[in-house]
Amino acid sequence: MATDRFHVDMPHKTLLLWLTHIKRMPTDKLDLLQGTLDLMVLQTLAGLGPQHGYGIARRIEQIGGGDILLNQGTIYAALVRLQQGGWISADWGTSDNNRRAKFYALTARGRKRLAADTANWRRTADVMDRILTAPGSQS
Amino acid sequence: MIPALDRLLARLRAVFRKPALDADLDEELRHHLDALTADKITRGVPPDQARREARLALGSLDAARELHRDTRGLPLLEQLGQDLRHTGRLLHRERGFAVIAILVLAIGIGLNTTVFSLVNTVLLRPLPVPSPDRIVQISNGDPANAERGYSDRAHQVDTWEGLMAQNRTFERIEYYDPFSLRQTFPIEIDGSAPQTSNLVFVSQGLFDLLGIVPAKGRLFIPEEGVGEGLPVMMITHQLWQQRFGGDPNVIGRTVRLNGTPMTVIGVMPAADTFARAFYPAFRIDAYVVITPDNRRDWGDTLRLIGRLKPGVTPASANADLAFAMDRMLTELPDRDARHRAEVEPLQDLLTARIRPPLLFLSVAAGLVLAIVAFNFGGLLLARGASQGRELAVRAALGAGRGRILRQLCTESAVLVVIGSIGGILIAAGCVHVLAERSAIEIPLLQGVRLDGAALVFMLGISALTAVLCGVGPAWHLSRVGTGSLEALQQSARGATAGSGLTRLRSLLVVGEVALAAALAISAGLAVRSLQNVLKLDLGYEAQDLYALRIDALRDREELAPLFDPILDRVRALPGIQAAGVTDCLPIERDRSWGIGYLGSAETTEATNWTGARLKVVSPGLISAMGITLRQGRDFTRMDDADQPLVILINEHLAAHFFPNGDAIGQHVMTGGYPREIVGIVADTRHAGPESTVGHEMYYPYRQQNSGSFDLMIRTTLPLTTLRGDLVNALRAIDPTLPVTQVRPMMELVERANSSRRMLTTLIGGFAAIALSLAALGLYGIIAYTVTQRTKEIGIRMALGATTGAVRSQILGQTLRLAGWGLLLGLALALGTGRLMTAMLYGVAVFEPMIFAGAVGAVAACAFGAGLVPSLRASRVDPIVALRAE
Repeated sequence: MATDRFHVDMPHKTLLLWLTHIKRMPTDKLDLLQGTLDLMVLQTLAGLGPQHGYGIARRIEQIGGGDILLNQGTIYAALVRLQQGGWISADWGTSDNNRRAKFYALTARGRKRLAADTANWRRTADVMDRILTAPGSQS
Repeated sequence: MIPALDRLLARLRAVFRKPALDADLDEELRHHLDALTADKITRGVPPDQARREARLALGSLDAARELHRDTRGLPLLEQLGQDLRHTGRLLHRERGFAVIAILVLAIGIGLNTTVFSLVNTVLLRPLPVPSPDRIVQISNGDPANAERGYSDRAHQVDTWEGLMAQNRTFERIEYYDPFSLRQTFPIEIDGSAPQTSNLVFVSQGLFDLLGIVPAKGRLFIPEEGVGEGLPVMMITHQLWQQRFGGDPNVIGRTVRLNGTPMTVIGVMPAADTFARAFYPAFRIDAYVVITPDNRRDWGDTLRLIGRLKPGVTPASANADLAFAMDRMLTELPDRDARHRAEVEPLQDLLTARIRPPLLFLSVAAGLVLAIVAFNFGGLLLARGASQGRELAVRAALGAGRGRILRQLCTESAVLVVIGSIGGILIAAGCVHVLAERSAIEIPLLQGVRLDGAALVFMLGISALTAVLCGVGPAWHLSRVGTGSLEALQQSARGATAGSGLTRLRSLLVVGEVALAAALAISAGLAVRSLQNVLKLDLGYEAQDLYALRIDALRDREELAPLFDPILDRVRALPGIQAAGVTDCLPIERDRSWGIGYLGSAETTEATNWTGARLKVVSPGLISAMGITLRQGRDFTRMDDADQPLVILINEHLAAHFFPNGDAIGQHVMTGGYPREIVGIVADTRHAGPESTVGHEMYYPYRQQNSGSFDLMIRTTLPLTTLRGDLVNALRAIDPTLPVTQVRPMMELVERANSSRRMLTTLIGGFAAIALSLAALGLYGIIAYTVTQRTKEIGIRMALGATTGAVRSQILGQTLRLAGWGLLLGLALALGTGRLMTAMLYGVAVFEPMIFAGAVGAVAACAFGAGLVPSLRASRVDPIVALRAE
């Protein structure tokens, strides 16, 4: 993990490394599959109510424990993507430490997507589970 | 709303709100960092360490920002903006390169668009008439006439009536008189001096068939097409403008046509489809209806134009008419099996002669475009090579290959776009000249314009050029650029940007030279053909020969009292060598009659019938025109109506009837009477330099009625002097005679040669452009290698190489490249020469002299291209070269 972060600081290769960090990651951390971050953010907002970027990141790391490698900077890309799609809304407000912060909240459309994505994810996980535990497969 | 669409719109908006969004994000990230640090401090981590750990957890802020920008905005669009700005700076910095590239592209695209417009107008686009594919001509199929003769295409009135009544395949059949211009008429408007005018006689419904909409007034109506007809006429747009000053109330005005009052009922549109198709490069003044009764018992004077019923093919119409014709041959008098009714699609007929040369022209234009594309590609490579270091630096700083490729493609696309705009301007200019130069005798040419199809074509070839010549070099360069380390080292040493680039450029240049050589050979062949045509013996002497139209519409007995004093007076004028009168001006007028062999005057049944071009002339005409009298005598003033009928025939006709050469004194049957042959004259190429020699015969005008005559005058006087002298001379004899149309015979000959001259000029121009571009390409690559090898040359000169040796080495390199191109080009010319055969006149596809000339031209270009760089190489100062870098 340390080596990875070191590389990330070289400005012009960050994007490339972000896209390819799967290969460089230590094996004990879970890789964030494309799209899973969006789902996590939606679920976090559904659970906590309106929240700023740091709060969302903290919550995901807390629940994921040591199993998730989250580059917290990437969360803002997910937030703007969700906001542009109309799944969440954003508003400036004041945080606990009395600072100006942008608060994100789930919209009706976001709630619908969360339900759909959750069901979808459960089915995928279920299928994967069945395939991986089927007789004859090595495990 | 759909999320995807919302997102797209939001991303588009984000592109234009970059500063605000960046500031927002920065504040969020700062907040994130501070909050994370504060949390860690609360958990007991020392402040310094807390701050560092927070930074690690958040990752690179730059990365977060970039990811955010790419996610929220449209990276491709933003990069395009960057690329365009970069290109703008670059082109500004390298103006020389940009100007040359744009010029080259503009010329290639402009020429091709012009040629496409030409081909599209004349060959591809359907005739500008309703249901053009069903418009056909019904020709007579009389094979006895020479080419360009109308007598083999025209029919008699009763044939038309018979075909109208018996066919089952035509919607309607109309006609016009293709001999109309044989006769000209004085038109007098409001008492002004009468002017010689060109009238065409048409059937009442012809313009309706052709879908012509009058600019003013109306078309002819059925009442005007029956019986003897009514005194009405339609005037052309040109006459309306010039003689009526564009009078808005012209409809209903009366003019005197040869003294007869006629009412103007309509004005033709400026784009006169009929004239453009049937009389290209002629000035038509007015149209008058001929009714069937007007032409009852005349010969073959009507050219039939019909429209097939929907779904009928020309072949089935042909069979239908053949059947009708067979029946008519048995019913109608003086008809024999030579009379047929052949159906030909009108468009094919109009364009048959011009099709092969135009197709060749398209190929030539395509070759020029290929050369332009090669040249453009070469220029891009050359510039890329000098840019190698910059590309390498950018690659080293993290620009991906795709990004560099996109940047390079943007550059070439920008150049192509500007080049295309230049190309459109060039094409618009050329098309304007072609459309306005009404002296070029190509059907429909006057309708040429830059239309949507031409623009689509232009876009297509531009895109093709941009893709083929932009992407190829860009691909190559981006590879060089991203081989960053070596490239950086190489360019740091000032070495070449890779021998691969130079090899590719050499290949392009060899290709250019090959195509240019092939074009040079084509141009040589075309020019030689034109020269051959110009050198042809016409059978008469067109130089210093002038024609004055005399509209002598009077009885035969009154002609001699008019012509004798005119000829006497004109011949007596100072500076005039000879004069005569003919009713069959070469090139413009044409008519054939039948002629049969009698032998002695007592024989009544003529045999061996054929057709021959008839010319009704005055004594002295053949010498005035410079036609050689081979045997016998010319006509005299004694050959009048009271004397035995006499005739002159040409050698060709004499050989037909009298292979033994005993023609003089024998009799032939023609025009309904036996005539005695009194002389044999040389053949003429009557219908134009490229026409074949046909049967010709001459009657004395005292023994045959005719219409308008031309006074042929041989003189070296300038045209204006001659015109003045003629006006004075004729006014003294008959003040009502219009003396408005005095023309040099060479003008008519030139018009007959105009389409060949135009094609030759275009191909010659293409070849010149191709050679210049090839020379430019050669120069570019040689100059480049000299620059790259300055150091090497310096060393060699320091070691004792003479300037001569350096110079000849560089020149040798140029000529070697040119040599390969030349070899390929000669092979190409030999392989594709067949394409040209239809255009050639008196020269073979493989003409050693022309091939040698092309080799010389290419060698001269190569020498010129190599000379400047070789001189520069030989002036390299070893000390300077070695110290540099």
